[in-house]
Amino acid sequence: MGYLNNSTITVDAILTKKGRELLARGRDEFKITQFALADDEVDYDLYNPEHPLGTAFYGAAIENMPVVEALADETQMLKYKLVTLPKGTARIPVVRVAQSTIELNANESTIITPSTVNFGGGNRRFGYTAILSDSDCADIVATRGARNSAASVPQFIGDSEAAQSITVSGTQFEITAKELLNADKQITILFIGNETGGRASVTLTVKKVEIATAANAQLQS
Amino acid sequence: MAIYNRAISRRGPVAFRRRRPVSATSQVESLARSLANQIIREREQAKARQRLGRIFTTFDPTDDVLPNNIETVTRGLFFGNTGSLTTMFTSSNLTATQKTYFQEIFSTGDPASNTNANSELSMAYGHFNGSGSKDLTGNLNNDTPSRAIYKQYAQLLLAPNDKKFTINGTDTNEIYVLNFNRARIREKLDPGNFELTLAQLSGSAGGGINAALVPNAAHTGSNVKVSGTGQFIQIIDDSSLASGGSIAEGGLVYNLISGSIDEGTSIHNSSSPVYYGLLYPQHGVAILNGEQLNKDISNGGVNFNSVTGSGVQGDNAVKLFTSLNASDALTPAGMNGGIQARSSEQVKSTYYFVRVKNAEYNYSNNPSFVTGSLGELYFNTFTNDPQVYITTVGLYNQRRELLATAKLSQPLLKNYTREALIKVKLDF
Repeated sequence: MGYLNNSTITVDAILTKKGRELLARGRDEFKITQFALADDEVDYDLYNPEHPLGTAFYGAAIENMPVVEALADETQMLKYKLVTLPKGTARIPVVRVAQSTIELNANESTIITPSTVNFGGGNRRFGYTAILSDSDCADIVATRGARNSAASVPQFIGDSEAAQSITVSGTQFEITAKELLNADKQITILFIGNETGGRASVTLTVKKVEIATAANAQLQS
Repeated sequence: MAIYNRAISRRGPVAFRRRRPVSATSQVESLARSLANQIIREREQAKARQRLGRIFTTFDPTDDVLPNNIETVTRGLFFGNTGSLTTMFTSSNLTATQKTYFQEIFSTGDPASNTNANSELSMAYGHFNGSGSKDLTGNLNNDTPSRAIYKQYAQLLLAPNDKKFTINGTDTNEIYVLNFNRARIREKLDPGNFELTLAQLSGSAGGGINAALVPNAAHTGSNVKVSGTGQFIQIIDDSSLASGGSIAEGGLVYNLISGSIDEGTSIHNSSSPVYYGLLYPQHGVAILNGEQLNKDISNGGVNFNSVTGSGVQGDNAVKLFTSLNASDALTPAGMNGGIQARSSEQVKSTYYFVRVKNAEYNYSNNPSFVTGSLGELYFNTFTNDPQVYITTVGLYNQRRELLATAKLSQPLLKNYTREALIKVKLDF
């Protein structure tokens, strides 16, 4: 007689930087109300439906893989979330933006309206989170809002980057280039679906300001 | 799906049942039942539809969240969750003046020569009248380090007008102090799991077992030695006694008495144990009666023969260090020497029950789950039988800000035939 496998899994959670910040602020903002699941470190290329030992071993390489510890940096966790979709789904909802690259001169603006394909009405309710990686180059505002607008998964590259990034939530965004005096600069804008997950990025090039000089100007001695 | 199915009437077997006209009441009931079932069905379908295209699931505060669970967590007191400190080192990094007040005790090595040394506790000697130490600053008011130590701990642990430590009803002028590092004790020392093993010292002229060795005033430095008789005493707190423990000015306090926690708690001569001092778990401080430790082993002491002359630097704290450090070599197999102790802390936890139903979370936004730019599934078989692996649980607030994360030890397979219950514990 064998023992039954106890199927409840117990895991210890750690607070993220954001969680610690809200806990310290103590204005009832630290209130966990929902959960999400992710498979960040899984590469489905390891899933092998042609495994010679059969179905039980298709995912053996993934299932036996040790999982790395949780990080306190919320920007590096739950990047790839699991999503509930109808059975028979052949395509995963994809977040799209019309332009993958944009070039702007100083003070020029452009409107970006992300959309979700493969899932009707996807992200219409809660919209998208847009993260502009460098506020020195451009500004971003949500021109059309969404419910409970907030950053879902802000993504920053490092501490200094975090200080310069802008995160907004909505369904339509306006990006305005700032004046750059030294050189052209390329930055990334990331759009994340707040309902279906998924992400799309846009590369923004901000051109430096060309200062006109007089053609016949001569150095005075 | 729930079915509204209230029994309306009990009927006899079909073969003997006489066909009766259907009454208006039963028709209404039947219609009502069918309508109720339809409403339930539609609600559940709507709920299922609502879940589609979602990456978040809201917790039911009643069923899924178990807040404010208090658990007492105990750990070994010393570095690396070790419950006993048998080999100790003093620090050469302390200044000469600091050493007149206390000795800092390290595990692994002297921090001056070993970068892996870990600070565990401090040991000090206090005398009510300031004996056994010398004021190196030239102060003539007898405000010596030993007097400062005594008064410091009296101030911290005793009632405002109580100036002396009272051990088993008798005031004592001499105390030895073990002060465990706050980071080690966390919230408090764990009463019932505290033991000191002290080796008998050689003592000195005027009461020591090597009476001819050195006079009392010279019982310092290299003259402080283990007796060589192999004898030792063991001291525990009296929390195992019904009468043990009280709440005083210094919080919870226990008597330190003769006994052992090796192979279960036992008090030596339980009807009349030897009283050695007081344990203040919340302060992480043990006060030992120096007068008792000065006695020879037949009277329950360990021959400390503390230097008690005035204007003499006695380095008495080193005697406690020497005695504790040497005791492990004297104890028989199955017993520990040195210090055995645990920390105790109450942890408030909230449990979140993450329930993943069979129809939920069977697809992934992972870029390796799809191929091409149109979101097509990487494997055709995933269309009707998707297989995903859960590795991370994220806990969010209403604004979808990630407040806490938990990782599973191994990826957990999820598909339409599997449900998962993950209990996430968040400590505060």
